[in-house]
Amino acid sequence: MSSVAPVVQNPFRQQFAAFTADRREPDAIARLRREGLDRFASLGWPTRQQEAWRLADLGALAQIDLQRPADALVDAGILPTLDLPAHRLTFVNGRFAPGLSRLRELPGQALIASLGQALLTHPERIEPHLERLPGLSQHPFAALNTAFWEDGAFVYLPRTTVAETPLHLIFHATGDDIAVYPRLLLVLEDGAQATVVVEYRGKGRYLNAPVAELQLGAGAVLHYHQVQEEASQAFHLGGVRVRQGRDSQANLHLVSFGGQLARTDLDALLDGEGASCVLNGLILAHDRQMGDYHVRVEHAQPHGSSEQLFKSVLDGQARSVFDGMIHVRPHAQKTDARQSNRNLLLSKQARANANPRLEILADDVKCGHGSTTGFLNPDALFYLRARGIPAEQARTLLVHAFANDSLNRIQLTPLRERLASSLADRLALGNIEEQ
Amino acid sequence: MLEIRNLHATVDGREILKGIDLVIHPGETHAIMGPNGSGKSTLANVIAGREGYEVTEGEVLFDGKNLLEMAPEVRACEGLFLAFQYPVEIPGVANLYFLKAAVNAVRKYRGEPSVDAMDFWDLVQERMELVKMDESMLKRSVNEGFSGGEKKRNEVFQMAVLQPRFAVMDETDSGLDIDALRVVADGVNALRGPERGFLVITHYQRLLDYIVPDHVHVLFNGRIVRSGGKELALELEEQGYALYNEEPGRARRAAA
Repeated sequence: MSSVAPVVQNPFRQQFAAFTADRREPDAIARLRREGLDRFASLGWPTRQQEAWRLADLGALAQIDLQRPADALVDAGILPTLDLPAHRLTFVNGRFAPGLSRLRELPGQALIASLGQALLTHPERIEPHLERLPGLSQHPFAALNTAFWEDGAFVYLPRTTVAETPLHLIFHATGDDIAVYPRLLLVLEDGAQATVVVEYRGKGRYLNAPVAELQLGAGAVLHYHQVQEEASQAFHLGGVRVRQGRDSQANLHLVSFGGQLARTDLDALLDGEGASCVLNGLILAHDRQMGDYHVRVEHAQPHGSSEQLFKSVLDGQARSVFDGMIHVRPHAQKTDARQSNRNLLLSKQARANANPRLEILADDVKCGHGSTTGFLNPDALFYLRARGIPAEQARTLLVHAFANDSLNRIQLTPLRERLASSLADRLALGNIEEQ
Repeated sequence: MLEIRNLHATVDGREILKGIDLVIHPGETHAIMGPNGSGKSTLANVIAGREGYEVTEGEVLFDGKNLLEMAPEVRACEGLFLAFQYPVEIPGVANLYFLKAAVNAVRKYRGEPSVDAMDFWDLVQERMELVKMDESMLKRSVNEGFSGGEKKRNEVFQMAVLQPRFAVMDETDSGLDIDALRVVADGVNALRGPERGFLVITHYQRLLDYIVPDHVHVLFNGRIVRSGGKELALELEEQGYALYNEEPGRARRAAA
């Protein structure tokens, strides 16, 4: 039986024409946008026939007539705080909100700014870095982001600059079926150090497709925290690219609590000798939520180390996906790469999918991976109850014990404590009311 | 304070307890001895309320209240304590945190405010002394990586902090060397008093040299086949359980 494939009009092409019509920006940037759009067109809307999207149900998202966001105001009171001094940049519907932002003094030539503004004032610092990292080449939403990003954050720390004050980036979306494409470009030159907290939130229904590009020069140290607490109806389809130079250290914490479908694809390239990457991921999902991490860690140089711990806690009919690849190139001898995926099911209808993969082309390496999925230990539950602790509290305590393994790796104390308390609220409520 | 009447219980449809009658008054320590498979641990678990044990007949009253209708945590809050034969390891939950949660759960049940942090710490310090426990064990996860002796000591320590009115010690002596056994027994003895009852379940007479019971019962094949004073334990030590195993008729006569 043969059939003629319907001609699918790329609805984004029309939007793109309108979107770019009134933009004034360097040719190089405009070219990147067109390339992004073309890449999306060639990749197409993901289908479940594609291995990378086999478990993601994008049907509900495909039904939505996605809109360009309107300018919106939000009350400062609903935005998260870190309870410590921070450079704060807030973006509402992907656009910089100066009134909700606060920049503190920066050392030397360091720059922390809205990406849109920095492109006007310092294009020479941005063009060499934007969209230059490998990775996410097959990710259609990263391609859309490259075509449609309006704003985001630009962080540039010159050689040996240490930003003592954490950088707090808040991306808030206001719903009404909008699509937002925030962008983060972070450049740490050799020996620079930064602590970054990125928060994705919102209300109502929308698509958030952010891309973060993190470049670490030799000896640079980054503590990166990505906290996804999108609205319960939201779709989050994000991407993170990381490239690490020699002896650099990337500590990447990914927390996923919100959204009806939340996926982050992360590609890390350890591109210098002795680079080390720690990836710490946690998903909490309930009802029909789905949380998904697709991770690829590529060891390109010798003596690198990577450690991945990805955990999920699933209640109701929630699902999680962990797809993790460790790729060791032939030249990358003495690599030490670990990967662990652990899933805790709180209901019989919850399901965790694990797909750990190793591709090792060097012969003198240490690599290991493991994956476990299970229910709460009934013996432990009874033990707690036999000491007087009510069943619900005992369950919560055990779930916390499981999740704390992840949260305790976060060194930023106020954030860790806030996440622990958010975890407790979400477990207690089963679902969280929207703000 | 604890009255067990004609208790029958099944596990996976198989009857393990076949009519237990036992009355324990405040201030009394009773020992239950019996061979493997006689139903000792089933009795302990039924009293504590573990899932998977079905009571098909009979009742258990705790201070006149129907114990079997209570959730395990309610039994604990009413003052019942089970020292586990196999204490469970709980990674990620610190011993001290767990203990405080337990103390506060009981206080909440009684309508009392949460324990004052300083008072709690004083109590913990004092009780640690009792079981010669190292302070570092408080910060470690509950029972995780503890030796057999440390686990049992931790059980007695929890009991000493929670101060239940009635405690069931389920083979607390198993797997202990003589020094650990003494520490555990000293801990139990220190808690004995006119208001508190104990049910000590053991396979071996040895423990009863250190925790001297007021009454000894022999559990065999789901029934108490003989009851007596502390001297019964010595008799069992000499003659073993073979007596009951080989000649149930004689055992029944002896029980009569």
